[in-house]
Amino acid sequence: MTVIELKDVKKVYGKGEAQVVALNDINFQADKGEVVLIMGPSGAGKSTFLTIAGSLQKPTSGEILINGQDISHFSAKQSGELRLNKIGFVLQAYNLVPFLNVKEQFTLIDKVKKQNNLSKEKLQGLLKQLGIEKLLKKYPNELSGGQQQRVAIATALYANPDILLADEPTASLDTQNVEEVGQLFKDLAKKRDKAVILVTHDPRLEKYADHIYEMMDGQMTQKK
Amino acid sequence: MFLALKEIKHEKLRYGLIILMIFLISYLIFMLSSLAVGLASQNTQAIKGWKAQKIVLNKNANVSLSQSILTKNDLKDAKIGKNEAVIGQLGIVAKKKGKTSISAQFLGVKKDQFIYQDQDLVAGKKAKTNNQVTVDSSFRDKGYRLGDKITLNGSKKKYTIVGFANNAKINIAPIVYGSMKTWKKLRMVAPNVAAAAIISKKSNYKFNHADAKTYPIKTFINKLPGYTAQNLTFELMIGFLFVISLIVIAVFLYILTMQKMHNFAVMRAQGIPSKTLVGATISQSVILVVIGVVIAIILMWLTDLALPSAVPMTFTPTIMISGSLGMLVMGIIGSLIPIKSILKVDPAKAIGE
Repeated sequence: MTVIELKDVKKVYGKGEAQVVALNDINFQADKGEVVLIMGPSGAGKSTFLTIAGSLQKPTSGEILINGQDISHFSAKQSGELRLNKIGFVLQAYNLVPFLNVKEQFTLIDKVKKQNNLSKEKLQGLLKQLGIEKLLKKYPNELSGGQQQRVAIATALYANPDILLADEPTASLDTQNVEEVGQLFKDLAKKRDKAVILVTHDPRLEKYADHIYEMMDGQMTQKK
Repeated sequence: MFLALKEIKHEKLRYGLIILMIFLISYLIFMLSSLAVGLASQNTQAIKGWKAQKIVLNKNANVSLSQSILTKNDLKDAKIGKNEAVIGQLGIVAKKKGKTSISAQFLGVKKDQFIYQDQDLVAGKKAKTNNQVTVDSSFRDKGYRLGDKITLNGSKKKYTIVGFANNAKINIAPIVYGSMKTWKKLRMVAPNVAAAAIISKKSNYKFNHADAKTYPIKTFINKLPGYTAQNLTFELMIGFLFVISLIVIAVFLYILTMQKMHNFAVMRAQGIPSKTLVGATISQSVILVVIGVVIAIILMWLTDLALPSAVPMTFTPTIMISGSLGMLVMGIIGSLIPIKSILKVDPAKAIGE
C-alpha cells in the first residue's frame, strides 16, 4: 500500500540568475513495509527531497500525497500535525532534545500527542529491539553516537507514524553499527509495517533496501 | 511547563545565574521601596495617626507649618469642634546631660482637643502640666527614660518626660508633645498669637480668613521639606530598576532562545507545535522570576529583622505584592521579545536546509 507519493515535484530556490533548481520533476513513491534508499552525492538535492517529502518545506510545484491526501498546500499548523502523527524523522544530528533524558523524550511526545502513541508494552518491546531499554535515565550527551541514533529511531517511532524518514542515519557509525542499523530499519519496515525512506550516500545500506533511487542535480532515477 | 522545568533542572548553572540576577534586582527593588516607604512614613507618621484631612495655615506661610502663625483674630471665627485641633510647631533640640542630643519637632497641643486625646502611648501617661512632655518612642532607643528631665533649645527650664508615644514622627524628626503655652514660650511669639495651624479630620472642613487658608492634607504633605524630591528620587530609582530587570530578562532569554534555535527546529520537525515552545519560554521566564523573587522576599524579611530600628525601612505586604507583580510582569514582557523568533523558526533547519 502506497503511503507516500511525489508527483512532478519541483523545488526552485532564488530568482533570476541566482535561481537554483533543487528538485526537478521528481516522481517517487514508497509503500508500507519497504525500505527505500535515496542516494547521491552532496548537493544532489537529497536533503531538499527529505524536507519536502516530510512536509518541512513546500514544493514550488507538484503534488505530495500522504495516504492519498495532497499535502502540498498544507498550512504550517497542518504540516506540524501531519509530522506529529504520520511522519517520524531520524536526523543526521539526531532529533533528541538535549535537556531531556531518554524517558522524557517520549513524555514530550505524550504531552503534545495524547493518542495513538505506542503502548507501554510496545514501547518496551521497541526499546528492547533497539537495545536501549536500560538507557531511560540517560541524557543525550551521556550516550554514544550509536545509542543516540537508536534513541532517535525509538523517538521517531513512538508516535506510531506510517513513514520513517532518515537523513544520513549511518553518517557517524562504524561498519558493524551500520550493519546493525541497516538490519534494524529493514525489521522496522517489515515487522512494524512502516515505509522507511533513508537518504544516504552510504553504499553499505544498499543490501537492506527494497528500492534504490539515485539523485543527481535535482533529478531522480530508480536504480532498483 | 514540562519543557521549561526540565531545561532549568538540566541547565542548573545557566539558569542559576539568571535567577541570581533576578534575585538581586528584586532585592534591590524591595530594599529601595522599603526605604522609600519608611522615610515617607517618618515624614507623615503623626499626620496619618491624627487621620488629618485638612490643615489651616497662614496663607503667606507657603504651606509650611514652621512658617505659619495664626493670631487670635485669625481664629476668632474658626469652628473648632471635636474633629479639629490647633497646634503650634517648632524645630527644637532636646537634651539631657550625658545623653545624645536629639533634633526633634515640638508640637504644642490642647488637652481638650483630639490630637492630645488620641495620643497612642507605648509607656507612661499624657503630659498634663506645662512642665511635662510626651515624646516619640525613638527617644527610648537613644537612652531616654520616663522621668528624665530634658532641656529644649538650650533653655534653662527643664521638662519631664512622662510618656512615650507610638509612631510620633513628622518630617523624619521625633515629636515632643507639650502644651500650647510651652510652645508659645519656646517660639517666643507675640501675645496675640494663638497657634500655627488648625488640623481637621473632616474632609469638608473649610476656614478661610483674611490671613488663613485651608489646604488638603495631601498638599501640605507634598510641601514638607524634601518630601516630594525624596519620593521622586526613590520612584525614579525603582522605575529604572524595573526597566533594567526587563532588559536583563529579555536579553538573557533572547540569547538563550537564539542558542536553542536548532533544538526548536528539531522539535518543530518532530511536529511539536509552536504554542508548546512559546508556552515553554513564557513559563520558563515566570518560573525564573518567581524563584528569584521568593528568594529576595525571604532575604528581605531577614534583612528587615536584622537592621536596627534607626534605619527607616518598612517592608510591607504592599511592597512585597506590588514588587513581585512588577517583576512578574517584566518577566513576561521580557519573555515575549524572543517569541517572534520562535514562531518563525524553520523546521527545515533541523536537517541543515
